[in-house]
Amino acid sequence: MEQIGLYLGCNIPLKNPDIEQSFRKIFPALGVQPVDLEGAGCCPAWGTAPSFDLNTWCAISSRNITIAEGKNVDIMTGCNSCFGVLSEAKHFLETPATRTAVNNSLAKINREYKGTSDIYHVGHVLHKKIGLTKIRENLKYKLDGLKIAVQTGCHTLWPSDVYKVKEDNPYYPTMLKELCEVTGATVCHYSRLEGCCGMGGMRSTDAEKSLKLFKEKLLSIKEETDADMIVTTCSSCFMQFDMSQPILKGRGEIDFEPIPTFYYTQLLALAMGFEPQQVASISQIDRNPIIAEIQSDNRRIKEGM
Amino acid sequence: MIIDQKKIDETIKIIKANGGHGIQKCVQCGACSAICPGVKAGFPLLCRALIKDLLNGQLEENIENSSSWGCQACNRCTEVCPQGVRPQEVVFAFRRYQANELAFSTSSVTSQMNLYETGHAVFTDPKEARRKVGLPEETPTSAFNEAAQQEIRTLMDNSPMGELGLF
Repeated sequence: MEQIGLYLGCNIPLKNPDIEQSFRKIFPALGVQPVDLEGAGCCPAWGTAPSFDLNTWCAISSRNITIAEGKNVDIMTGCNSCFGVLSEAKHFLETPATRTAVNNSLAKINREYKGTSDIYHVGHVLHKKIGLTKIRENLKYKLDGLKIAVQTGCHTLWPSDVYKVKEDNPYYPTMLKELCEVTGATVCHYSRLEGCCGMGGMRSTDAEKSLKLFKEKLLSIKEETDADMIVTTCSSCFMQFDMSQPILKGRGEIDFEPIPTFYYTQLLALAMGFEPQQVASISQIDRNPIIAEIQSDNRRIKEGM
Repeated sequence: MIIDQKKIDETIKIIKANGGHGIQKCVQCGACSAICPGVKAGFPLLCRALIKDLLNGQLEENIENSSSWGCQACNRCTEVCPQGVRPQEVVFAFRRYQANELAFSTSSVTSQMNLYETGHAVFTDPKEARRKVGLPEETPTSAFNEAAQQEIRTLMDNSPMGELGLF
């Protein structure tokens, strides 16, 4: 079975381990074996080393990458920020002066960056390596009739020149849409599809500005799609949608119930029949009704069909 | 405003040294600002406006402006810029200038300390949540790996960050 280094980052293993568990369930079933990168740390997050010093950013990123290089595997990450930070670091490390300076730092911890491991997002591995057909063959439940609004997240889209896998048009991403459609669900277009959710540095710097941006996106989803759920391939977007809808509801700024939100692999794991307690049990918004609908008997795909 | 060539030269030198190599290619077309989520959310000094100030030598004058910390690093600006400025790199270069002068919110000190101590910028004890979903209580990451933490500390101690007294 093809192996790939599972780079976890911070939020997924520490705050939302049900997302991590969904990776560990679906990938082996789809023919890709995730391999742990022991001792990997933060990517490092945009607000840390990247905000202070470029070479320190690249040193901490490349330390993580060398763990994968030591195992002769590429890297797969489920966090968009990690994907962006590691991919950009790899891009900067193509400059000889940067690579020399960074390798001088890494020598202090007996490591050397070689550049032999590529960086993939979980969504890329599913769409490009595993493919839609194989995913379809492994479904236990069909999601026909359910409406999804997708949120790809910023850091797999731009700047496209540093990413190993690119969308045909980063302002109109289609990979996540297709990954959702393969379950039988309908993915509805909305006008703020490529808009930022407001999480990240913006939220920690000015929560009100972040919520303003988020609300505009959310209203576009609600009014234009009336989706049953929001599905994202970004763990930060997941947190924003799950945490901030109840805030807006509590303030009376929205007049509808918060829309249940899933990280994509949680939805896929449910559609593949995995246990909700393991793969989709940590959220502020109550997802039990939609999970029961997804795994209802009348959606079960009969063997041999 | 008085335009002072010495101030302009010094500002450009500092921005380039911090990674904003494309700043002088800017023609102030504003494509970056038109697509920037930070500008849309109401941060006044990002993309075109920031680059304009910097090209006029206005560096210290803006040191307390928190707009750069509202940048999502999303790089829509980099994608859309017709001149190859890579505006996000200029915004981050300005942010690095601020950071190294300790001109940033105290709340972001916590993530530097977390990174130094656990190897994770965001750290919460995950044991109960992980047990609940059927995973080993301890992550395979640096959070429970003293040798990994020591490596990360060594990298941070031997960097310009190590001189700021943050951790």
